[in-house]
Amino acid sequence: MDAVEKANTARQKRWVKDRKVGEGTYAVVYQGREASTSRKVAIKKIKVGQFKDGLDMSAIREVKYLRELHHQNVIELLDVFSSKTNLNLVLEFLDSDLEMIIQDRSLVFLPADIKAWMAMTLRGLEFCHRNFMLHRDLKPNNLLIASDGQLKIADFGLARDFADPGHKMTCQVITRWYRPPELLFGCRYYSSAVDIWSVGCIFAELMLRTPYLPGESDMDQLKTIFRALGTPTEEDWPGHTKLPDYVPVGQFPRTPLRDLFTAASGDTLNLLSRFLVYEPRRRINARDALNHAYFFALPHPSHPSKLPKPAAQTSRPLEELDGNVDMAGAGPGVKAAAPNKLKRKLTSPDGTDLRPLARRLDFTQHAKHS
Amino acid sequence: MHTSGQPPKYITIVARKGRTEAYVTYESSTWSETAKTIIDEMIKAINGMAADNAAKAANPQINSSTVKRSLYEGSTQYKSWRYSPEQLEQVRTSLNAAAVAVIRDTFEADELGSSEDVLFLNANEEQLLVKLYITKIPQLCGHFRFPEEVEATAISYLKRFYLKNTVMDWHPKNVMLTALFLATKTTNNPISLESYTSNIPKTSSSDVLDLEFLVSQSLNFEFAVSHAHRALWGIWLDLQSLPDVSEDLRPQDVYDIAIKHVRASRFTDAELIYTPSQIALASLALVSPVLAERWADSKAAQPLSATLDPTLGSIKYIITQMGHPPDVEAVREVDRRLKLCKNPEKVPGSKAYLARQTAEQRRAEEKRNKKAEDVRRAVTESGNPFGSELNEDEKAKQLAELDDDDD
Repeated sequence: MDAVEKANTARQKRWVKDRKVGEGTYAVVYQGREASTSRKVAIKKIKVGQFKDGLDMSAIREVKYLRELHHQNVIELLDVFSSKTNLNLVLEFLDSDLEMIIQDRSLVFLPADIKAWMAMTLRGLEFCHRNFMLHRDLKPNNLLIASDGQLKIADFGLARDFADPGHKMTCQVITRWYRPPELLFGCRYYSSAVDIWSVGCIFAELMLRTPYLPGESDMDQLKTIFRALGTPTEEDWPGHTKLPDYVPVGQFPRTPLRDLFTAASGDTLNLLSRFLVYEPRRRINARDALNHAYFFALPHPSHPSKLPKPAAQTSRPLEELDGNVDMAGAGPGVKAAAPNKLKRKLTSPDGTDLRPLARRLDFTQHAKHS
Repeated sequence: MHTSGQPPKYITIVARKGRTEAYVTYESSTWSETAKTIIDEMIKAINGMAADNAAKAANPQINSSTVKRSLYEGSTQYKSWRYSPEQLEQVRTSLNAAAVAVIRDTFEADELGSSEDVLFLNANEEQLLVKLYITKIPQLCGHFRFPEEVEATAISYLKRFYLKNTVMDWHPKNVMLTALFLATKTTNNPISLESYTSNIPKTSSSDVLDLEFLVSQSLNFEFAVSHAHRALWGIWLDLQSLPDVSEDLRPQDVYDIAIKHVRASRFTDAELIYTPSQIALASLALVSPVLAERWADSKAAQPLSATLDPTLGSIKYIITQMGHPPDVEAVREVDRRLKLCKNPEKVPGSKAYLARQTAEQRRAEEKRNKKAEDVRRAVTESGNPFGSELNEDEKAKQLAELDDDDD
């Protein structure tokens, strides 16, 4: 056997698959462990044989970027090996994700908890951007939570390097509810600001406990955004009416964020509004966001170990595994969100929990907006 | 700041405001960031420090990234693919010796004494052949109009592959085709396999895909490569904002010739020994030593050019002496001999090839049988009263599922 194959076999033997935890069209995920230490890992087996063009792009992107990025808030790729016609990624094992936590109605979030999750998300993202990398699929479901509470950005199947000026990129990225208006208008030249918009949506979702801008189609997404934040004027966003797929979707007035986020502090709303700036060049960047007054004001972020986490360890939702995106296909290159998620409910304010309720909710206002 | 003869891997710039100090560290591959960026960073850093210190004291969770860790040192290129000239030589010689020993054994197993007259390739001859196929990559890329990044990446892949494999096992022609196809994908410039193979004469899709795993494994799945042509572009942009570099000092043809030197460096080992920015700076120095010096000096408080000289000298030597395609006649001779000394296990139809295949099939069958036995036992032992009623189809299905789970 060749040295290279031998090395591959040796790597393969380092890891043991224990049980299948999910299967999608693109990959099977196993819970496993390192043979010598029994350290828990997740093994993502990507079926390569079925792709006529060999190793597929999302697998390549994921391996390429995770091999380079090592950061506390980015998922760690421990090893890669191949078996027959499969590619196996050995990833650190993470119990849950932010979506599960948001949906768990038994959990109550304090403002300090939200601040901690936001800080960890932004630290991971700032690191990606500092390495000239766009994630292009940020959403609660891709922010995984380790048992010690650390948040890790995962799923780099749509990631890419910053493009050179004048180099076109696809606008069919980022799951719809987290997709910024410039992509919905078909912008082919964009920046790290697209990820920042997603962060803004996640921030709002953490406070609302329900997706902030749940559009039902790409067209409806724009309407949903404008209904929430007001239709942009030429002054808000110079030149946006000249974008390739620009369509007027109606005039909506700008309502103050305060109307919906009734319990949020001034700093909180200021940072949120700077994530959700229409003009991408004026949107705050990850680094400046980390230096925003919000992170220096009281309350201090919760310690990761003290953050709320789901009581029952359920397996990861299968939708997560359908990460493969056919960029050549006719459909949008993003993962469709399950329709039932629209029904996601707000935490019931039953007040029986020891922790005080994080915020007051104005249900009537929210119903009007969604 | 460093003191040895080696060029610094990074520089740290200190900004002071009153009693507050901020440190900004740049690694050499990002020296091409403009001076303005650096100054802006420093101002931001120093202004951020006071607030930041207070915040840190109050809340250790928020760490500002005022002090940068060198990004280049975190890259797989730095960690896995940098060698000293001596290490490079040693890797190739021992790889070649090991390969020759294995192939000699295979010959002998086939027929005693049959390896005596075989003239195996040595490490230099292997290198010569690889170099020839490196020169084919720019030709193919020109044909496909691939961006320069694809070309440079494919060349890096080919070089890295032959630090783990021998040409006597894997002929560079196919490896080159696979490396190039893989590079289109890893640099985000994918084309369909069909349009790739149909544009290259006498190439089937299996010629490209069969080796894709082997190439990926050999690269240790480390697909990201930084290139000197990007570093040169960065330096060129920097030069346009240096106050003491007037426009007539930097005519366009300086860049045009420098990029040719960068391209010539791809025929050499330079990228396995030096960083992209070192190669870029040396390429510029070959055209305009003054510009190279001004740029280097603009990057630090003390002049850097003096400490960089020995390194730049070595790179310049490599580029001018070795940065050209190999002599075709010499390569043809190597290729002719390769036909006689290549590993018979890799030649379809040969005795050794068949023997290896048979052995592999036997192993696979043993594995399958063992699994089948395990399933049968599991069914029986579980005491399932319906176990015996499983028909053959279902059993086969069960086996298939098990097999799928286990690889």
